[in-house]
Amino acid sequence: MASRRRMLLKVIILGDSGVGKTSLMNQYVNRKFSNQYKATIGADFLTKEIQFEDRLFTLQIWDTAGQERFQSLGVAFYRGADCCVLVHDVNVMKSFESLSNWREEFLIQASPSDPENFPFVVLGNKIDVDGGNSRVVSEKKAKAWCASKGNIPYFETSAKEGFNVEAAFECIAKNALKNEPEEEMYIPDTIDVARERQQKSSGCEC
Amino acid sequence: MASDSSSASSSSDEEEESAGQKPNVDVNINSIDNSLDAIENQLSSIALNTPIDERTLPSTDYHQEPVSEIDDGSSRESASEMRRNSIGESSSSRGSGLWRNNLGVEVEVEPEADGELSSPSSSGYAGERGSSSSPTSACGTDVVRELRDNGSSIGDDGVVPLDPSQTQWIRGKQHADEDDGSISWRKRKKHFFVLSHSGKPIYSRYGDEHKLAGFSATLQAIISFVENGGDRVKLVRAGNHQVVFLVKGPIYLVCISCTEEPYESLRGQLELLYGQMILILTRSIDKCFEKNSKFDMTPLLGGTDAVFSSLIHSFSWNPATFLHAYTCLPLAYTTRQTASAILQDVADTGVLFAILMCKNKVISLVGLQKASLHPDDMLLLANFVITSESFSPICLPRYNSMAFLYAYVHYLDVDTIQIEAVLAKSNVLNEVERSLSEGGMRIEDLPVDPSANSGSLFHLTHRKTPTNGTVTGVGGPAGLWHFIYRSIYLDQYVSSEFASPISHPHQQKRLYRAYQRLYASMHDKGVGPHKTQFRRDENYVLLCWVTQDFELYAAFDPLADKGVAIRICNRVCQWVKDVENEIFLLGATPFSW
Ligand SMILES: Nc1nc2c(ncn2[C@@H]2O[C@H](COP(=O)(O)OP(=O)(O)O)[C@@H](O)[C@H]2O)c(=O)[nH]1
Ligand SMILES: [Mg+2]
Repeated sequence: MASRRRMLLKVIILGDSGVGKTSLMNQYVNRKFSNQYKATIGADFLTKEIQFEDRLFTLQIWDTAGQERFQSLGVAFYRGADCCVLVHDVNVMKSFESLSNWREEFLIQASPSDPENFPFVVLGNKIDVDGGNSRVVSEKKAKAWCASKGNIPYFETSAKEGFNVEAAFECIAKNALKNEPEEEMYIPDTIDVARERQQKSSGCEC
Repeated sequence: MASDSSSASSSSDEEEESAGQKPNVDVNINSIDNSLDAIENQLSSIALNTPIDERTLPSTDYHQEPVSEIDDGSSRESASEMRRNSIGESSSSRGSGLWRNNLGVEVEVEPEADGELSSPSSSGYAGERGSSSSPTSACGTDVVRELRDNGSSIGDDGVVPLDPSQTQWIRGKQHADEDDGSISWRKRKKHFFVLSHSGKPIYSRYGDEHKLAGFSATLQAIISFVENGGDRVKLVRAGNHQVVFLVKGPIYLVCISCTEEPYESLRGQLELLYGQMILILTRSIDKCFEKNSKFDMTPLLGGTDAVFSSLIHSFSWNPATFLHAYTCLPLAYTTRQTASAILQDVADTGVLFAILMCKNKVISLVGLQKASLHPDDMLLLANFVITSESFSPICLPRYNSMAFLYAYVHYLDVDTIQIEAVLAKSNVLNEVERSLSEGGMRIEDLPVDPSANSGSLFHLTHRKTPTNGTVTGVGGPAGLWHFIYRSIYLDQYVSSEFASPISHPHQQKRLYRAYQRLYASMHDKGVGPHKTQFRRDENYVLLCWVTQDFELYAAFDPLADKGVAIRICNRVCQWVKDVENEIFLLGATPFSW
């Protein structure tokens, strides 16, 4: 098999606490859902291998804690992310309104080389609750926001039912890939010994 | 001996074996908590529980899986050989062959052919070699095979008992199917990890890097968390485990070990691991990370697993890894001079330097820039060329960590031509063979009155080759078992051959570790420089003596008398001085760093 090299994609999940970030990740990676709410403290990491267009990927998923007081991982946490997933709870307006802040926070901290085109994915979670009757953020409203931020893909999900979770993460992987920059040119210098000699061994860096 | 050496290699490498305790499976190791308590929990779960010396406590008492699981390197061995095979193919397409003989390795390092400096010698050689060498497509594997043969044939003579080194690394990465969920993985005694500052795995000694992505993220989070507080994490102890961190710009290196090696030693090993990476890629990779923090350097390291496993293995047998000095093959003074003269001809053609080596021992080294070749660079270079193609770009981290040089690597033996013809005619290669089979400084030969002797290791026409494995004596006079003498001025050391009390690889490794500890304690900056140290435990009497000119490390029978041992050490030093022109490369300008 003439497979190309494996790739590792770093995916960061952001959103207010309680919107279902950890649940989405667990549903995706372990196909499990628990009704118990256990606040994530700091960060949590899960990995999943996926095959996509005959290439193998490893998604390294960084789950965060929404609580403001746990944002201390800062720059280091966001560095080198390939995709950022913004999650809100369609039953809680406040969680939707926070999306802008999360997006900005990410762009500031991660300072990606091309912020305009950095791949985000927005998930509107918990659509199963109350048969959709307690819903306050409409699909239309969410899509409008996504469109205004450079056509961010939008998915309606239920971590509980496992609805759309797979599809959402597939899109996350796809988007992370799309943003893969042209392979960084790696051109180290070669030593010109003739010149070095004239400089009397200034090449030594110790 | 072939079977002997392979069994030795697996049993002597302690880290290969499991530490024999039930892992604490309940703890989720892939999460980090904000409180320091939680980080500690993290680490203890990474580090598992109290390790127990596997020699005193068979791991099978606790569970069944590891024993069978741990020694199935054979299938993966072929996989890694295949990988290296493809390296061989790519090198053949460059049209330069590799002679795969094992007696000596000649390395020329030269500037890139550029303008006035067109490096005539080596490009010329490369051409001739291309035509005269055997088919190159299989060279990767051939080198491997021949070195393996070499290892066992030398073992046959019983002269290089320190040979567990020679077979182990060849397999490349072992246990590649493990991840942090595997019980066997958790029980490994010594892990090495390299990751990027974004938490992406670059290298892991055991297990699959991608499967360890979560673990890698955890390490990154620990490092960054501490960094965020304006601090640096250097060492975390968790039970018997030490977690040692080294941050080199965008590259993070971590060792998790329960081998009880001193922190300074483990840290030094991480430095060398980083150096090896730089030797392969130069520090230009920093720029790639600067431009793009997502940068993934693993593809650039493709196929180099064997280099890293070889280096990591040398951490448990090669004193050069902690002495920061190199060692020479003992040779009659005139023989070495002859070799140097021949190399000088090569060096005069514009190369930076030329080294003739036999395994990790230097026969000769010449070159205008000799002063810039750090012993650590030599170690990394020698480790690299064992697996390398004939002409390959390398970086010498201590010389210039940002740029490449080109190394021309050529394996020699008595039957080959060109330079070797000259070497062979002048008997250098025969002398090398003789030195290999007869050994260098043997404690049994320690003269009673050193200066009264001829001052040569080679005046004895019929030196007995020690019979391998059988206990024929108790070592040297007054219970002297072994010594290492390091010349500070020359940056070289000489180590005595292993006598019967330490003929087993296990004993050798234990002694190695004892020296390592001794070295660390003598160089402990906090305590201040020591002059001498005498310590007795159930295994040895260890004596260390540091002066401005040299450092002597000696091991005696545990019952040895202190006064007598000190007198013996004086005799050893005298002996070393008497034969210094045979065991050291003299006349080299002192290294300037
Ligand atoms: N009904 C329903 N409950 C959910 C869903 N996703 C998460 N939850 C629940 O919401 C609570 C918070 O979820 P969690 O994943 O911990 O949120 P996080 O703080 O964003 O990580 C938990 O009690 C979950 O069981 C969902 O899709 N539907
Ligand atoms: Mg959570």
